Amino acid sequence: MCGAERADHASLDIVVTGLGAVTAYGWGVESLWSGLRGGTGAIARFERFDATRHRTRLAAEVPTSPEEGRFARRASFADRFAVASAREALAMAGLPGAPAGPSTGIFFGSSTGGMLESERFYERFLRDPRRRARPGLLASQQLNGPGDAVAREIAAEGPSETVSSACASGAMAIGAALRALRRREVDVALAGGSDALCQLTYAGFNALRSVDDRPSRPFRADRAGLSLGEGAGVLVLETRAHAARRGARVLATLAGEAATCDAYHMTTPQPEGQGAAAAMRLALEDAGVEPAEVDFVNAHGTGTPLNDAAEAAALHAVFGDRALTIPVTSTKASIGHLLGSAGAVEALVTVLCLLRREVHPMPSAGEPDAGLALDLVLGRPRRLQRAVCALSTNLAFGGANAALVFRRAEAA
Amino acid sequence: MPNDATTAQRIKQLLVEKLHLDGLAPENIDDQMPLFGEGLGLDSVDALELVVALEKEFQLRIQSHEVGREAFGSVATLAAYVDGRLQTADDAHVRS
Repeated sequence: MCGAERADHASLDIVVTGLGAVTAYGWGVESLWSGLRGGTGAIARFERFDATRHRTRLAAEVPTSPEEGRFARRASFADRFAVASAREALAMAGLPGAPAGPSTGIFFGSSTGGMLESERFYERFLRDPRRRARPGLLASQQLNGPGDAVAREIAAEGPSETVSSACASGAMAIGAALRALRRREVDVALAGGSDALCQLTYAGFNALRSVDDRPSRPFRADRAGLSLGEGAGVLVLETRAHAARRGARVLATLAGEAATCDAYHMTTPQPEGQGAAAAMRLALEDAGVEPAEVDFVNAHGTGTPLNDAAEAAALHAVFGDRALTIPVTSTKASIGHLLGSAGAVEALVTVLCLLRREVHPMPSAGEPDAGLALDLVLGRPRRLQRAVCALSTNLAFGGANAALVFRRAEAA
Repeated sequence: MPNDATTAQRIKQLLVEKLHLDGLAPENIDDQMPLFGEGLGLDSVDALELVVALEKEFQLRIQSHEVGREAFGSVATLAAYVDGRLQTADDAHVRS
């Protein structure tokens, strides 16, 4: 983005007015927040399908849903997480449901969409000697399924875009929404992500030996991998003027975004975190925020030895000596790694932390890795004296990096 | 499902169970109610699912060109179609 365009954006604040989430803590934002605050993770024995062949039996699985209506009869898990989150976010924003019309856009991230249901279809198809299986299982197979399901649900006729850049997808979708709002292509955007655990994901991460057989312990000395999770997060974003016209409560300002690529390796992050640091710097610059103004970081923090080392290096590169004292948490330590929706749920949690002036903890198990030299929030929430500005980061497979900057509503 | 149930009753049960029309009781489906669009509100994916369910339930094979508006208009037309298929000698060799 060129300097002139940035300056032009400065006059066009984009604000967050609604949040919705489905995670292993339950259906809804409040269950997520109280779970995170409690410091007891939701990573437990995985039950949805047989995982006995794999290295780990753990994951952060979304519990049984409340009544969702007829829409859910053929929707994939990922679609259902997405629509439930969108409904909650719209209600919080005080926006009516359908029809949202042409001035509302949908920007979603996903890694596997309706893959679980496709796997079930093919399993039945191949086992049935007459090759019969429910065709409806394939109806929401595509990666754009969750975003499109939300668009149909609320009759949003603006752009419906799906980003699939591995674990940065959710954050990049929010970035895409921010840009569309700044360009005035839409007045309102529902931005987020949704992913459901499937055999491909479960077997893939096990085969890569990226998963820990205990709940993941980001930035800890004995960390041995990530824990998988699933769920969705949705943010309602709109221009400040639009929110003001309808008297909406502003939860936070989405101040800046950026994305970069390591262009280094399929799965391994560049060891010094150069690409991640670049994304963080560019997002802060986009937001017009100095590193010294950042009050806490919601890190990608997967708990793999390589990610956490590269991310810590990036934080030190961006924040200098402040990296020793800036509170760092990882939402993944509690609800697992949500892949295509991780960045969305973590962005939403970052807004909650700003709003409530405290950083949620990671479960306390494991000694901090002294070599990473970070101030980790462990066991109990950390009350913030200053809660004005926060950074949420994602470092993905493929070397994709994304960073989002949020500001406290009244500080904008 | 009891063997003495009429074809129409069996189809209504299939609709509710196989298409996951939760909250709808088979007896609340009117024989003449349109299956698609107005009426029961089914769509084209439901049509595919219904064909698979009918083939399993009634042990017959339905060619795609047969899935027309006429046979799949309502429970009544679908029951007449299924009964007709079951009675034709042609079907004997495709039953399995």
